[in-house]
Amino acid sequence: MLTIEGLKKGYEGNEILKGISIDVNKGDVISIIGPSGSGKTTLLRTITTLEAADGGHITFAGVDKDFEKLNGKDINTIRRNVGFVFQNYNLFNNKTALQNITEGLIVARKVKKSEAEKIALDALERVGLSDRKNHYPSQLSGGQQQRVGIARAIALNPEVIFFDEPTSALDPELVGEVLKVMQDLANSGTTMVVVTHQMSFARDVSNRVIFMADGHIVEQGDPKKIFENPSEERTKKFLTDILANV
Amino acid sequence: MDNIKLIINFLGQLLPAINITLIVSLSSIILGSLLGLLLAAAKMSESVVLRVLARVYVSVIRATPSIIMIFVVYYGMPMLFNNWFHTNIDGWNRMYFVIIALTVLFSAPASELFRSAHESISKGQMEAGLMVGMTPFQTFYRIILPQAFVVALPNFANSVVNLLKEGALTFTIGVVDMVAKAQMIVANNSGGYAWQTYCALALIYWVISLAVDKGVSLVEKSYQAKRKTIAV
Amino acid sequence: MSLNTDFMVKVAQTAIQGVPVTLQIVLVALLISLPIGVLFALIRIYRIKGLELIVKFYVSLVRGTPIIAQILIVYSAFPSLLNMMIGKAAFSINPIYYAYIVFTLNSIATLTEVFRSALQTVDKGQMEAGLMVGMQPRQAFWRIILPQALISALPNIANATLYLIKNSSLAFIMSVKDITAIAKTEAAFNYNFLEAYLVVWVYYLIICYGAEIIFNLLERYFSKYRRSAKRTTGFNWNPFSIKQPKLVVKTDLAESERTNNAHN
Ligand SMILES: Nc1ncnc2c1ncn2[C@@H]1O[C@H](COP(=O)(O)OP(=O)(O)O)[C@@H](O)[C@H]1O
Ligand SMILES: [Mg+2]
Repeated sequence: MLTIEGLKKGYEGNEILKGISIDVNKGDVISIIGPSGSGKTTLLRTITTLEAADGGHITFAGVDKDFEKLNGKDINTIRRNVGFVFQNYNLFNNKTALQNITEGLIVARKVKKSEAEKIALDALERVGLSDRKNHYPSQLSGGQQQRVGIARAIALNPEVIFFDEPTSALDPELVGEVLKVMQDLANSGTTMVVVTHQMSFARDVSNRVIFMADGHIVEQGDPKKIFENPSEERTKKFLTDILANV
Repeated sequence: MDNIKLIINFLGQLLPAINITLIVSLSSIILGSLLGLLLAAAKMSESVVLRVLARVYVSVIRATPSIIMIFVVYYGMPMLFNNWFHTNIDGWNRMYFVIIALTVLFSAPASELFRSAHESISKGQMEAGLMVGMTPFQTFYRIILPQAFVVALPNFANSVVNLLKEGALTFTIGVVDMVAKAQMIVANNSGGYAWQTYCALALIYWVISLAVDKGVSLVEKSYQAKRKTIAV
Repeated sequence: MSLNTDFMVKVAQTAIQGVPVTLQIVLVALLISLPIGVLFALIRIYRIKGLELIVKFYVSLVRGTPIIAQILIVYSAFPSLLNMMIGKAAFSINPIYYAYIVFTLNSIATLTEVFRSALQTVDKGQMEAGLMVGMQPRQAFWRIILPQALISALPNIANATLYLIKNSSLAFIMSVKDITAIAKTEAAFNYNFLEAYLVVWVYYLIICYGAEIIFNLLERYFSKYRRSAKRTTGFNWNPFSIKQPKLVVKTDLAESERTNNAHN
């Protein structure tokens, strides 16, 4: 459904992504793990066209092109078929929870307002925040904001939703509620690509784990295999370090 | 081309009067800063009365047009001195009235930026200084003051440029500064070359403003180079 | 010697006719310069080639020169300029139009800087979130970025308005019959200048405080969605300096840096 081949990206001469290839199938829940600075965020941002890539090929939603050759229309197509959940939520500060969700539906998808509100209420229901629909982001806790962020993404019914460390800006006691919502999403068959430091999520919820380091995919595969019997030394070291810290 | 020649010619005629502008501005900046320091202290003092007075003062100044302040000081002070001290100050150099008016005007923003600079720094820093065994004075002088200086500098420069521009109203009470000089030149030319004359006038002010901005950013840079650790 | 209160009452009665004139100048200048200020700020932020330099030059020139110089230039240059275009009629133009021109040109420069810093305080994540729900950059700008920038600019728009109101007291130099001009004329009969200017002062205090109250109500009304830490409630006693928001920009950067670090 989504295929990335040889994706490259650099900043000011520093190569950050050194040729990444990923295959995402419908219903996949993929966890991307790896040390800080390994390029995980950059990977999500280049795939979703928030950053321009330097090289590579994308096949997705009818677009089948090299990244450099993407035109405005292709970029629109890609953006309309992905959802993005940001690490720091990025809810529209001047919109209520409900409006945060209807905004994209009404403005970008040209859905009628009444229809959009119905969809938005459904989405809020799924993340357990129906009673907060008229709250502004500043009146919500971090966990609630992130759940609205997730609702905003699912309301658009995209082919795949990208999550960039959705829980790492949260106070520890709020992580659970967001993970729970994500788990429900995964169980309902939503295609998800999740950058995360929550090893429990990677191990128990996803069906594939990708370990990234230094702009490369070092290893990927079944969570069980990666966690219990990684074939690469770097993966082993990363997992020992991170699990020791939990 | 002719216009440029004219403007340069007028520049030459106006520049001698820059003295007045500089004297007026510098005196009001110094006096206004001192008054502003007192006001800032009043604003942060324990006494409610002082705090309220300082606030009211600043808010009134903030809502007072400079020209009105100059006029009120110019016409009001002699009456005040006459009634209270039985002194006649009609003979004072008119520049003094402008300096007083501008001092009052400058003290308000000065007090506000002293206070906010002080508050933006002092909280943890004073405690930290005391904890490493410095006296309160040492902490203030060595730790807080340099940081407050850097914080206050851009706003201070901004206020200085504002004051400089307000000082251009000196002519309204008959002091022959650059603006008055420009008007005289225009009058001597029977109203001819007016805009060229005033452009020359504007040019001089512009150069001074640019110089103030440039000076401040140089000082800021050298400070930041010296103390990389100050993250404002 | 004491204040002639009878005269003050008389001046207060006549000078009040100048209040609408002052308000008119302020409103016209503000309404024209607000959208142009946004436009100029965008030119600076997006570094539109050529135009950026012109805007930078314009703002620096206007902010670096006294309003009195600007008044004198416009008042001496425009009549002959208009004369060339529309002939003798130029000299019978109501001088209030010159006031509109000067104060609009002046406010544009102030507001450009206000909007530039306000637009920069809006986190770039807001635009990205807009793009990720399928909006075009332009849609995200109008619906998400600009409303937030306008509201965070309110305290500085208030400052700019106060600055404008106070500067408008110089309109009398262009023979506009505003508060100051009327009071001055009255005072000239008996040399009661102090009384006249005290009355004018009170009028300006009332106008400025009125404006400030309106802006505070606006701020309170619109600040409902803002973070309590960032909320600017109550009167804004800050000096009328438009460099003020820079501090806000910096703290915001620091905040987003912190989250960036957290996310690594
Ligand atoms: N806008 C940028 N400009 C320059 N360097 C960047 C930028 N964004 C990210 N980087 C660099 O790219 C590298 C990878 O960053 P990132 O993708 O955020 O890593 P991760 O999300 O895995 O922690 C880091 O070294 C970071 O400093
Ligand atoms: Mg990251």
